[in-house]
Amino acid sequence: MSSIASHARTEPWYKYGVAFLMLEIAIAVAVSGYSLYMTFNGLGGFPGKH
Amino acid sequence: MPTHKVEQLVIATVGFFWCFLMWFSTAAFSPSIAATYHLGIKDLGLLASSAIWMAPVGRVVAGWASDRFGAPRTFAIILAGCGLVSIASAYTTSYELLFVERVIVAVAGVSFVVGIQHVAQWFEPEEIGTAEGLYAGTGNVGAGAGALLLPRIFGTDYHSAFLWLGVIALGIAAWYLLRGVAAKTTERRLSAQRGSDIRGTVFVWTRYIAIALMLAYAMSFGLEIAMNAWLPGYFARGFHEEILGLGFSGVAGLQIAAGTFAAVESFNASLFRPFSGFMSDLFQRRGWTPLPFIAKELPYAPRLHWLGIALILITLSMMGLTVAGLSGSLHSSIAVLVAFGIFLSFGTGGTFALVPLLFPDRPGIAAGFIGGVSTAGGIVYPLIFAGSANIHMGYLYVALYMFVPIVVFYFWAARYERHPEEHGLFTGELAGQQV
Repeated sequence: MSSIASHARTEPWYKYGVAFLMLEIAIAVAVSGYSLYMTFNGLGGFPGKH
Repeated sequence: MPTHKVEQLVIATVGFFWCFLMWFSTAAFSPSIAATYHLGIKDLGLLASSAIWMAPVGRVVAGWASDRFGAPRTFAIILAGCGLVSIASAYTTSYELLFVERVIVAVAGVSFVVGIQHVAQWFEPEEIGTAEGLYAGTGNVGAGAGALLLPRIFGTDYHSAFLWLGVIALGIAAWYLLRGVAAKTTERRLSAQRGSDIRGTVFVWTRYIAIALMLAYAMSFGLEIAMNAWLPGYFARGFHEEILGLGFSGVAGLQIAAGTFAAVESFNASLFRPFSGFMSDLFQRRGWTPLPFIAKELPYAPRLHWLGIALILITLSMMGLTVAGLSGSLHSSIAVLVAFGIFLSFGTGGTFALVPLLFPDRPGIAAGFIGGVSTAGGIVYPLIFAGSANIHMGYLYVALYMFVPIVVFYFWAARYERHPEEHGLFTGELAGQQV
């Protein structure tokens, strides 16, 4: 396993790429949370209050 | 021309995002088109399915073309061609002509493999997972963004939408031609060009590991696009009473609820895809090879293990969808769907973190085969789901009778500790390669 392990430092762009993918994950979590919330509250839940 | 690989990644991602937007823009306006031309449910179904017709063959050709002529030229031709036809469709008054034009615009979906090839020609093996993930995951969002935003911006005026989508596509095509550079080095470019003959194509198509990756992508992306079409109807029928119990009523209410629940899969599968590429990179950096049977000494062995884990998780979550559905619990079903969407992204991101490394001299041909043929899954799965006596059982049938054999085949094909690409239906020499 050690023969294939590579600990090369990543280039500067990589941290911005990771930050961007974290932002995308946050959006996915928000959509999932809203849908799950809606299964409990239906139309009464945010943002579809009636 | 001075450039940076991040600029090339941004160009490819924007181009792919716009192509995906055009690809699914017909679906976004299908109610308006149906109202204009008085279409029945069968016509609507045909219009919806036509979006995928060109993908399997078109992606194969586009992958080869990107190796042969370079990604910038290939991508620009796709953008410009689809853009011009989109503009023409804005002025069309005959439904038959509009249908043909929209099928041609749907060719935009083949651009995926061109961008995969472009990114592979610029990024290094240790960062390829994240780079390809950012490209594909962000681009895929174009489909959801189109469904969400286009009807809100243009209302029922699909003519204006098709016009603007086409005009902007022409602008992006010009940008791609002006600033796009096919590869980081001349050696890489020439290497891909040399491998783009018919013998190289036969070689890739007959390798067990390429077939295993194609099936893995059919298990992930093929399933993703199948579920995009299947899930709204599944929730509307399978959880009809539960949705009514939440206060939604009428067809419009059911559509809103079912669409919102179904969006969970689509958003997670797209937006977690870059994370999957990052995880593949992380497995690679740390040298993690936890699974049995799969090779442990190959330079990219940890990435094979990450994909193996993803395939197992997809299979288990499919079974979970059946269990949750049979329990009648909408909460459980959505919770499993969240995990399912994430696991799908693990599969899609994991596959294309591997493809450029397995076939570095033929990234376009390999991406075309793996990313093209696999989309046929989008047609097959809904037929199995719809053919089951119980609407919840289809997931289990697909998991047991299709996915378990595919996972076993993947483990078998990924077991070689040296040059897995040497093993295939023919010897390397018969397939035209020196191995």
